[in-house]
Amino acid sequence: MLGSQHKPMALWLRLYAGAFFGFLYLPIAVLVVLSFNNSAVIGFPLRGFTLGWYQQVFSDSNFFTALLKSFGVGMVSSVIATGLALMAALGLRKRFRGQQWVVPVMLMPIIIPGIVSGALLLVFFGIAGVPYGLWTGALVAHVTWVLPFAFLTLYPRLSAFDQALEEAAMDLGANPWVVFQRIVFPLIRPAVIATVLFSFTLSFDEFVRTLFVIGAERTTPVYLWVLIVEQTAPFLPAAGVIIMLISVAVAALGFWVSARSSQVTDQSASARSR
Amino acid sequence: MSNKRKDERTGAWLVAPAMMWLALFALAPLVFLVTVSFWTATMFGLSPGFSLQSYAALAGDTIYILVLANTLKIAVITTALSLFASYPVALFLASLKGHRKTLFVILLFLPFWTSYVVRTFVWMPILGRSGLINSTLMSLGVIDSPIDGLIFNEGAVYVGLVYVYTLYMTLPIYLALDKLDPALIEASNDLGASAWQTFRRIILPLTLPAVWSGCTMVFLLCCGAFVTPRLLGGPSSQMFGNIISSQFLDAGNWPLGAALSVVLMLVVLASLYLASRRFGMQRLFMGQH
Repeated sequence: MLGSQHKPMALWLRLYAGAFFGFLYLPIAVLVVLSFNNSAVIGFPLRGFTLGWYQQVFSDSNFFTALLKSFGVGMVSSVIATGLALMAALGLRKRFRGQQWVVPVMLMPIIIPGIVSGALLLVFFGIAGVPYGLWTGALVAHVTWVLPFAFLTLYPRLSAFDQALEEAAMDLGANPWVVFQRIVFPLIRPAVIATVLFSFTLSFDEFVRTLFVIGAERTTPVYLWVLIVEQTAPFLPAAGVIIMLISVAVAALGFWVSARSSQVTDQSASARSR
Repeated sequence: MSNKRKDERTGAWLVAPAMMWLALFALAPLVFLVTVSFWTATMFGLSPGFSLQSYAALAGDTIYILVLANTLKIAVITTALSLFASYPVALFLASLKGHRKTLFVILLFLPFWTSYVVRTFVWMPILGRSGLINSTLMSLGVIDSPIDGLIFNEGAVYVGLVYVYTLYMTLPIYLALDKLDPALIEASNDLGASAWQTFRRIILPLTLPAVWSGCTMVFLLCCGAFVTPRLLGGPSSQMFGNIISSQFLDAGNWPLGAALSVVLMLVVLASLYLASRRFGMQRLFMGQH
């Protein structure tokens, strides 16, 4: 768009972008290097190569338990949030009274600061007498946090979807559920899968809200937090690298599915225009 | 006509579960929190009623007001830093084409898909006593002993906050730049405008809504920051989120914690109101269409 006409500016921009991406990736590089550093102090100078910290992480049963809990709550909350978001996005394509309130209410969990969201549920569950824990407070906190993002990912896809296809099927006598099953869902399936994956990464990395309502249990970010704050464990960089790899792998899968799904949408769009 | 009514029913039914979830787990707890802020904490637990005790404590102790003011200052400065750091990168991304563009957009995204806690922690072995900067400077002979002033202060909080939140600025600006009609820029060039004039008169005004949206997001996120000041800040650079969390997690004074949360929510709502007065709430969150 810009670039070509202004050569000196393009060079300046490229240099700056290099510095910016350096700022983004240098800390990650440091984390990776330190995860292999044979020193009980997390820092420099480097004292040789070791895989010991990774061995320690893998043999740390607390880390493993936390990881399992993160996976469990991540899968359940991303499926619930995507389901709720999908229904809402489908519903919003119809006209109904009170429609204008749906998006503002949906955005509430984004607007409320994380620390307040955590406090809200802490007080709510506390006074309601519901015990804190992974499958009570944390699950609710995760679904609530992920829901608006799942909605914002799905809604544009669905509002761009051609309703004529459904109307045609309805005219031919198909009931709404059959229309959804046979026509709508196959077309949006990749978008739904991508949304589940993105939602999972959001849940997997959620920390502040979880900290307030998880009680004595630990998800991975909460466990790392406890390690950082209470007793700096030398295997922290290795644990961090593992967590990052999991998030990146799931997100990459999401991007891949999502890229394929936009191809499908493009195809259906071009088929329509023909 | 009946078809329309049926449509209306289906729409409402489909939206209902999500709305009920949020009513139960976001709206109701919010009302609850406001209520609890008027209760009192006693030795034996919470005592329901209507008391302004927590708000009086909040207004009577200058520490809360000072921390709130400091939090707003940190949020404003971080927002400005993110804007200046992000705009040129968004320009760079928008000037790319094809596979390189995809590659760099993915590179921009990737770090932000990873753990917030890890991305904050990672600055400790960079800025700390035995961190990357100190050890590099010492091995170069620039300094003899480690500098302590790199971490546990407000500067480190800025670094950490910009690092974790700058995507929320870069992304909307990039999307807006990417959608700009190249013909506008060509026309401006053909009419003899300098690069700076084109930027100032054409590009900047057209991307202003995106800038505004990015600023709002970063500002709001900073107002509720808790992890970054806790790990990278010193005693004097703790933010409002840290005071709130200590009331709930350490002191166990729920009414005071609730009152502090209400104050933070009011700050957030006031800034959202101011921001949305210019561009509209939906545009603020869903980009400009």
